[in-house]
Amino acid sequence: MSDTNNVLEIRDVTVHFGGRGGLLGKAGPVVKAVNGVNLDIGRGETVALVGESGCGKSTLSNTIVGLQPPNSGSVRIGGEEVVGADRRKLNDIRRKVQMIFQDPALSLDPRSTIGATIAEPLIVRRIAKGKALTERVAMLLQQVGLRPEHADRYPHQFSGGQRQRVVIARALALEPDLVICDEPVSALDVSVRAQVLNLLVALQKRMGVSYLFVSHDLGVVRHICDRVVVMYLGRFVEMADRDTFFSSPKHPYTRALMSAVPEADPMIQRSKERIILHGELPSPANMPSGCPFHTRCPLATEICSEVRPELTPRPDGALVACHHA
Amino acid sequence: MEMQVTDPLLSVDSLTIDIGGANVVDDVSFSVAPGKVMALVGESGCGKSLTSYAMLGLLPPAARRTAGRILLQGEDLAAMTERQFRKARGKDISIIFQEPTASLDPLTTVGAQIVEAYRAHHGASRAQAYEQARQMLVDVGIADPDRRLHQYPFELSGGMCQRIMISIALICGPRVLVADEPTTALDVTIQAQILDLMKKLVADRGTAIVLITHDMGVVADIADDVAVMYAGRIAEIAPVHALFQAPKHPYTALLLASVPKLEDAPKADLATIEGTVPTPNEFGVGCRFADRCPLVTDKCRREQPPLFDCGGGHRSACWHIDRMVEICEVAA
Repeated sequence: MSDTNNVLEIRDVTVHFGGRGGLLGKAGPVVKAVNGVNLDIGRGETVALVGESGCGKSTLSNTIVGLQPPNSGSVRIGGEEVVGADRRKLNDIRRKVQMIFQDPALSLDPRSTIGATIAEPLIVRRIAKGKALTERVAMLLQQVGLRPEHADRYPHQFSGGQRQRVVIARALALEPDLVICDEPVSALDVSVRAQVLNLLVALQKRMGVSYLFVSHDLGVVRHICDRVVVMYLGRFVEMADRDTFFSSPKHPYTRALMSAVPEADPMIQRSKERIILHGELPSPANMPSGCPFHTRCPLATEICSEVRPELTPRPDGALVACHHA
Repeated sequence: MEMQVTDPLLSVDSLTIDIGGANVVDDVSFSVAPGKVMALVGESGCGKSLTSYAMLGLLPPAARRTAGRILLQGEDLAAMTERQFRKARGKDISIIFQEPTASLDPLTTVGAQIVEAYRAHHGASRAQAYEQARQMLVDVGIADPDRRLHQYPFELSGGMCQRIMISIALICGPRVLVADEPTTALDVTIQAQILDLMKKLVADRGTAIVLITHDMGVVADIADDVAVMYAGRIAEIAPVHALFQAPKHPYTALLLASVPKLEDAPKADLATIEGTVPTPNEFGVGCRFADRCPLVTDKCRREQPPLFDCGGGHRSACWHIDRMVEICEVAA
């Protein structure tokens, strides 16, 4: 069952919050953040996790790195089970998976030099010290396009794009198998976004690292990913390889999402079919019956409010959870 | 030569703003006609937000307007006293900000906030003002307005709060709306709703919009004209189709090339702009883009290029407009 080529294997993961005796012993509402998701990521593969705020993508990321234990299900990294692992085991597994967050200014200690920041995981793991450590840090800085002499500087002396390079260098220090990139370029200016995207691609080619790329920007996703997963209210609603996904999106939510992302070309943008979704995302504490998307779906019929559609394979290999797609 | 059919409603004329001895907005001019959307595009620090604050008389204390005029139907906003500005703000010109939840008073119902804006300019009774507010919510596409008016901002989603902000900005029927990154904090499906709403307002009310954004996709969707700003100056200004089809400034061309495109091969190298935006104390005497520009020559570093007229309302501040072909090669 376990494929050694997969760096990540997620099975039936469910994460719910609250519900157990809240204030004054009254049971609060259960927030169903992630509901029974399955996902494999192969070595050197980039999988995009797409969805809007509140869809559960950050909760799922936290579960993968062991920061948020799931209510049920299994998360394996390089074949090792994360769920229920003891501290020592978890520590071992965590070396293989690292995270890069949206805002580099918030993920760097303002009082540490960036050299110390990048060295920290190497010291903690007793991988290098002394001269070897300095050399290792210098090499990491060069890999991300910075200079070794930058090691003595502080985060505030860098621009946003350079800070994100530092964060990437730190994430790569332990040579992880999987890096979870949570909106890694959203906070950056347009002209430096391309630099960071190029860097992520180059590092993958060189080191064979896999990425779980969490993003809402479908233009960036189309550029960098091999496979795309769309999440809505804690469930995967569509999963397909890049070309299939972009040439024939199937789930009505995916189609609405694609039509909502503005193309940077007025001719294309103004002539394209627009699907405007009405209403707002329902609360994950008050999940709609049946298909979670039926309250906003243009194709919804009676069955959609009664029976939740499962992810089913389509002839071109895509997996779609919809009665009508 | 100008192809303007309608007179501009608002024109910014040679606006220059100084912070600590540096011209962070330098000789910026543009205009917008009724029912049109003028986009100011640029990266952080390009001066687009300061320009918009100047239009509202909301410059921070450290910033000083040292030259230029902001004419709203012939009246110079920049010369107004704070007292006069209070009368104009909301009635003649309004602004909406990026973060709707941060701009609303958390302790007051949204209805009361809209009513307050209305009554500041109209001698209406509370009941009349509520009726106006109710109608406004219907106009911005909020279902169930009576219930919403009595809710507090925390009870509403981000998209709903932005609709409330737009209601407050438009309740007195201003002729000009300044929208400072109005959809940046919102999810894409909600962004599409708000952009459509803005288009509808422009069409129905003839409101002129000055849209501040960094997102070329948003510009492509809604703008009629675009001014690309770089380090406090206008690099290029043009009608939207001309700008995207044939940019005449290296910065614009590279910016457009660095956005991933539909036809790109997966994981192909994207065009990049080397280096970073200069800080105000690094501004040289020449072109402010010189240090990052692939076409740079000595002349660029020595002399600041004026905005050259390229015809059809297209202007570019570059000494090497005739060498733009080379940029396309760099970008490809």
